[in-house]
Amino acid sequence: MYTNRWEPATALDFFDSLDFFRDEMERLMEGFRSPEARGIFDRTLTPAVDVIETRDAFVVNVDVPGISKKDLNVTLTDTVLSIQGEKKEEEKGDKGRKFFRKETWSGNFRRTLNLPDTADPEKVSADLKDGVLTITVQKRDEVKPRLITVNVN
Amino acid sequence: MEATKSLTAPKRRFVNPACSICEDEGKVTVTVELPGVRKEDLEIKIEGNELVILGKRSDSAPEGTYLLRERRTGDFRKTFTLDDSIDHEGVDGKLSDGILTLTLKVKEAALPRKIAIR
Repeated sequence: MYTNRWEPATALDFFDSLDFFRDEMERLMEGFRSPEARGIFDRTLTPAVDVIETRDAFVVNVDVPGISKKDLNVTLTDTVLSIQGEKKEEEKGDKGRKFFRKETWSGNFRRTLNLPDTADPEKVSADLKDGVLTITVQKRDEVKPRLITVNVN
Repeated sequence: MEATKSLTAPKRRFVNPACSICEDEGKVTVTVELPGVRKEDLEIKIEGNELVILGKRSDSAPEGTYLLRERRTGDFRKTFTLDDSIDHEGVDGKLSDGILTLTLKVKEAALPRKIAIR
């Protein structure tokens, strides 16, 4: 079973060429890279995090495929958000298993993010859905935009 | 022919998801990480001898400014070429917590046979 489909790159699509180049490089590297490493341009061993500042909250999105709710630990101390978790390897034993390719990883990870001072540590919620963890930290009431009505006499 | 196809067809950018392939006693298990993909947004098809996995990300980012951006946005696509030893009918898929597990069967004829020595 071959894992990569060879697609010719066209000069018109620069990003496709980059993808192609990356795939080729990965194939070259395959022989001497550690089993848990992913592509050379990908992040390894920690989940990717997005922090988005919206009008009245900070939204943190973390890609955590395969991690269940009980293996995740999210803490917020003042404005320091800490996400800890463990990604468990499927327990099957190594007997008779032959890996052709291993890009997925397992193990412990920890990410610590320092949110801006305007975050309110009291108003936080977390939600896990389809392998994406979403943490919403509301902004302090005094920094939220307020609508001021102007009275015209 | 390939080249003309890619020049004329509308090109979309896809994210190449991380995957693992493991063979175990007549079964091939393919594990693909698809965070943010719901079951109804996942399309798995076999075209000829190609297995195509297409996953649409349904989680949309809220309106705002990015303070940190590490996640790759875009839909996932992964293509595998199946060889003759794989049974195209017996493919089983399971999606949970953003991980797709596909189980493919190896054809009986391709399995190693034990030969008894008299």
